[in-house]
Amino acid sequence: MKRAAVLALVVAALTSTLLAGWVLQSRMAARAQNTALPPLDTAGDAASRAWKRDPTWPQRDESQFNTLTNNHLSPPAPQAPRALRPPISGDPANGQKLVADRTRGGSCLACHVMGQAGDADLPGNVGPDLSEIGNARRDDAWLFNFVYDARVYNRDTVMPPWGTNGLFNDTEISDIVAFLKTLSKPAVFKSALDDPSRRPPPVEKRANLDALENPGMWAIDKAPVLWTTRGPNGSSCSTCHTKPDETFRTWAAAMPHWESRLDRVLGVEEFVARHAKATTGHDWLMQSDENTALATYLRYLANGVPINVAVASGPAKAAYERGRALTALKVGQLNFSCNDCHEKSALKWIRGQWLVGQRGQLDHFPTWRTSLQKTWDIRTRFQWCQVNIRANELPPDAKEYGDLELYLTAASAGLKLSVPGIRH
Amino acid sequence: MADAPRMKVPKEAEKGEIIEIKTLLPHIMETGFRKDENGATIPRRIINTFRCEFNGKPVFSADLESAVAANPFMQFTAKVEESGTFKFTWIDDDGTITTAEEFISVR
Repeated sequence: MKRAAVLALVVAALTSTLLAGWVLQSRMAARAQNTALPPLDTAGDAASRAWKRDPTWPQRDESQFNTLTNNHLSPPAPQAPRALRPPISGDPANGQKLVADRTRGGSCLACHVMGQAGDADLPGNVGPDLSEIGNARRDDAWLFNFVYDARVYNRDTVMPPWGTNGLFNDTEISDIVAFLKTLSKPAVFKSALDDPSRRPPPVEKRANLDALENPGMWAIDKAPVLWTTRGPNGSSCSTCHTKPDETFRTWAAAMPHWESRLDRVLGVEEFVARHAKATTGHDWLMQSDENTALATYLRYLANGVPINVAVASGPAKAAYERGRALTALKVGQLNFSCNDCHEKSALKWIRGQWLVGQRGQLDHFPTWRTSLQKTWDIRTRFQWCQVNIRANELPPDAKEYGDLELYLTAASAGLKLSVPGIRH
Repeated sequence: MADAPRMKVPKEAEKGEIIEIKTLLPHIMETGFRKDENGATIPRRIINTFRCEFNGKPVFSADLESAVAANPFMQFTAKVEESGTFKFTWIDDDGTITTAEEFISVR
């Protein structure tokens, strides 16, 4: 009799445990259907702790120059042009080398056609053609000051402050001035390709959704395997989301979104990191292979859906406005804002690179980069841009990047997702 | 799964038809000319040979050198007279041999 009682108790305990497990699972499944509050890890970081730049990227430390979080670091613009005692004598041959020097952040040829500038090719056309500046009767002091810091003549200039920000010293600027004074004839280009006004803009025609064309598509095979891989908590994505291709048919087209529990905009990559951690225990940090594959997959599931992010009211609207303000912030040693290239200089060339506007960018991220054999998410793209204009980048989950991503995604509203992209 | 070869071969064809075959093998194709962040040369490791046979007979083969980009993509045509199996072979510098097969039904 006693044994039967014990057995009955054990059976009852087992049944209630199983029942509790079943109730928990169906509750989790029910919660999964309620897309308003998916569980998120809010305690940890979504990216590597103690953020460290990719070792294959330039390792310059640019802490003396503005970033998107602190725009009081760079040396201030001079109040007035420097008073210089003429004549400013420089070496035009050295000036000719300096204007073509790519290690100096451009330099001048990145934006200006400059007649016959040595062996340099592919000048840009962001700035005016300077091939006949020697005929313009500008005095030496004016030319010197324009190169040293153009802001003294034009507060809104796109031109980097070559002198104020320490890119060229006074001797080098004198050499550049000496070279400019020799420019008195229109440029003669080696071919139509060399002339930025005749160079055909690149058009991306590759079949980005063909796995034989775009290695970025291999993430679409990797992701379903990750989806069913159990994490330390014993569950996997598939525990709650059994049919992702149905459930997430339009989800990514509404991302990024405002997340009040974190007081920031949450993009797909950060969402994956925090949600996976909270539910499965997986540590799929932003920019890891797993995170990037899943972010690609989740956006891929919404391919063909027009981008539609919420920015009309409340904290999302405030984030959108902050994002807009960020695109006007000048950062880095080259003192560029997003708008300098992607609004004021859209549809122009910097050296051999074609600049486009802000609309049409966020419909194809994450994107496979053929020159790097890697898939980049949008936060990596932001970071790379910062490093290239010689500003310290922020960690991928920075709030500023979230605001920026929301603003730029809204700029692509109505465009259909086509992920993964493929680019050089 | 990400390292498996990918192929596009028609499932069916007419006798005597010329079909197009595309193959891609995910592979780093390390040229042997790159240097790592410490300045040391990264050793070469490429696919040096690609072969395609149909029912045991050679159809197409190639010797690859360092200039071939990562994830070597080979596209070629073949005239099929009978049903059978295409066998693809990739040989790595390190000795690894990867093979794959595709069957085609010929009317």
